[in-house]
Amino acid sequence: MKAGLFIATALLYAIACVLYLFVLTRGSNRAQRVPGTVFVAALGAHLAFLLLEAPATGEFPLADIAQVLSVSSFGIGIAFLLASYRFDVTILGAFVAPLSLMLFLASGLGSSYAPVPPRVQSVMLTLHIGANVVGLIAFALAFVAGVAYLVQEGLLRRRRLSGVFQRLPSLDVLDTMGLRAVLVGFPLLTFGMITGTFWLLRAGGSEFYVSQALGLVAWAIFAGVIVLRVAAGWQGRKAALGTMMGFLFTLLVLAGYALRAAGGQA
Amino acid sequence: MRDFVVVGLSHRTAPVEVRERLAVAPERLGHELLQLASSGRFDEALLISTCNRVELYATSADPVAAAHSAREAFAGRLSNPVPDDVLYQERGVDAIRHVFRVASSLDSLVVGEPQILGQVKEAFDAAKGAGTVGTLLGRCFTQAFATAKRVRHETGIAEGTVSVSSIACELAKKIFGNLEGRRTLLLGAGEMGESAARSLRQTGTQLHVVNRSEERAQRLAEVCGGRAVPYERLSLELADADVVIASTASEKFILTPELMKGVVRTRRHRPLFIIDIAVPRDVDPRVGNMDNVFVYDVDDLQQVAEENLSVRAREAARAEQIVEEEVEAFLSWRRSLDLAPTIVALRERFGQIATEELERALPRLASASASDRAVLEAMGRSLVNKLLHQPMTQLKAGAGEPDGSLLIDAVRRLFALSEEESAAKGVSTGEPKDASVTQLAAAAATGSTGESK
Repeated sequence: MKAGLFIATALLYAIACVLYLFVLTRGSNRAQRVPGTVFVAALGAHLAFLLLEAPATGEFPLADIAQVLSVSSFGIGIAFLLASYRFDVTILGAFVAPLSLMLFLASGLGSSYAPVPPRVQSVMLTLHIGANVVGLIAFALAFVAGVAYLVQEGLLRRRRLSGVFQRLPSLDVLDTMGLRAVLVGFPLLTFGMITGTFWLLRAGGSEFYVSQALGLVAWAIFAGVIVLRVAAGWQGRKAALGTMMGFLFTLLVLAGYALRAAGGQA
Repeated sequence: MRDFVVVGLSHRTAPVEVRERLAVAPERLGHELLQLASSGRFDEALLISTCNRVELYATSADPVAAAHSAREAFAGRLSNPVPDDVLYQERGVDAIRHVFRVASSLDSLVVGEPQILGQVKEAFDAAKGAGTVGTLLGRCFTQAFATAKRVRHETGIAEGTVSVSSIACELAKKIFGNLEGRRTLLLGAGEMGESAARSLRQTGTQLHVVNRSEERAQRLAEVCGGRAVPYERLSLELADADVVIASTASEKFILTPELMKGVVRTRRHRPLFIIDIAVPRDVDPRVGNMDNVFVYDVDDLQQVAEENLSVRAREAARAEQIVEEEVEAFLSWRRSLDLAPTIVALRERFGQIATEELERALPRLASASASDRAVLEAMGRSLVNKLLHQPMTQLKAGAGEPDGSLLIDAVRRLFALSEEESAAKGVSTGEPKDASVTQLAAAAATGSTGESK
């Protein structure tokens, strides 16, 4: 049952990816709603999967990295749907769906990852993980906006103005979306880092230093992007590149945890 | 037998100096039509006059003579003689296809442009107002409008902008999203720059005009609804603008990387879209490499226009198919107006009713012998013949009149005789057809009704 639901969810995500990409590149006014519908179906299957996976009461939620990845993947989809109400960016599903699919598959790979041992679980840890997951979701949207911005700007500079260029949102919308998402994600990341440090001190360990260092780099990059955007009026390509880099580092943090957990078990 | 004729000229055959001599103002269309109709050669007439075409559509029992008199009427208006091939003419199915193509914007200077349909509709209304449109032209144009609608919906013929100024607008929207409240700076007084500035102004941007001659700037600003700004303030204006349209007559680059570097710093990296319409160019190409500065010159815009045009050309091929389908549908209706199949269909309809009623009555007459049956059957037949005798005589007599098709159309409607049925019957029963009756169908078959003169 669980395996079947996992495969069904992954398949629906994959189909949504293909359909979104098809609409983005070929474009057809009639088919525009189809990929969105499939994507929502994928999210539905994913939700069912999450409920099936949900830890029994009393167990610690989000305690293992696989769950974190799965919930993040689901959250990105939901956040994207919400964002497409605010901005006219439904076509960005072509970038969101692959990201959701990747994280979801990664969560499947990590089903053997060791959960955090019960002795170090605490409210502080819940806050730490929760804030970081929501932050990650915001950064993922910023990342998607950044990718779309670079694609769009490249097409504009190379004068390739038919097809994809027509269907992607305007540079202004993509830039604004990237900025807002980072502004939402950054305080969450900061909060997540502080609670994480507290938790680590209290748990008496200092072993996660690789992930911490990577997290610090990501934090510094986002801080830099925000400062340059606000103070120096940075916009466009450089801001998009910075945002994308920051997101990649946050992914590295997760990868660090995953490797660590896998290694811990071995 | 009445047939369609169109005589006219368009951007394909005549330069504007010739077209403008024939053009008729919209409010005078009805008057002109009545004058033309009074020449007596036409049963129906309709005049289309746009800046790209002047055409007279007509139906006449003698299409050759009608075409001739239309030619003469047009030639009379072109006071000094023009080459013969300025005026074209089509008859029969070619004339029908022509009006379908015109209404669908397949014959337009810019294929797919949307105005022509409205202009044809106006011409149709004017002709209806003047009372020169009857069954044939009426049905023909109604179907032309339906064809145009299908073409618009089912093909991408009207997609993608093809004029330089609207492309500039589209691009600006793709960069800035909403253009409301953005600022356009018009640099120089070139004509193309002015038209691009106007288009942008319509999307809600503010307009500032800078020119070496302040007087010129003032005049332009007034015409386009903007504000003139002294030339000395150029770099400040550049820092505030979102879109710059450069169209000066300067021999040298005006927007140099040195100037723009300072501008970009002042404007704190806000995106800047520069449209360089000037030849020789006003903007150093290196400016286009700067961050958040996008430079398009006239060739770039032209290239976009051509790409969009080629998309339209591809779609036009699909549109032609739709036109052929609709022409075929129209011909099928037209054939149904032929006398012979209508008479056959009418007889069959009545005969069928008689047979059905007879079959319903007979089982109830249990005692009826074979000879009784024969009597009843004969009675049914003669009843049908008697009932149909007068209508048939009137129909045959009326069909020869100029408005015969009206009568046939009325009969078909009264007795609900469908078009396909009769068209099929007309062929399958092999009724000997009047030669004139089949003229249109024959024309359709050979595909040529061109006049040989």
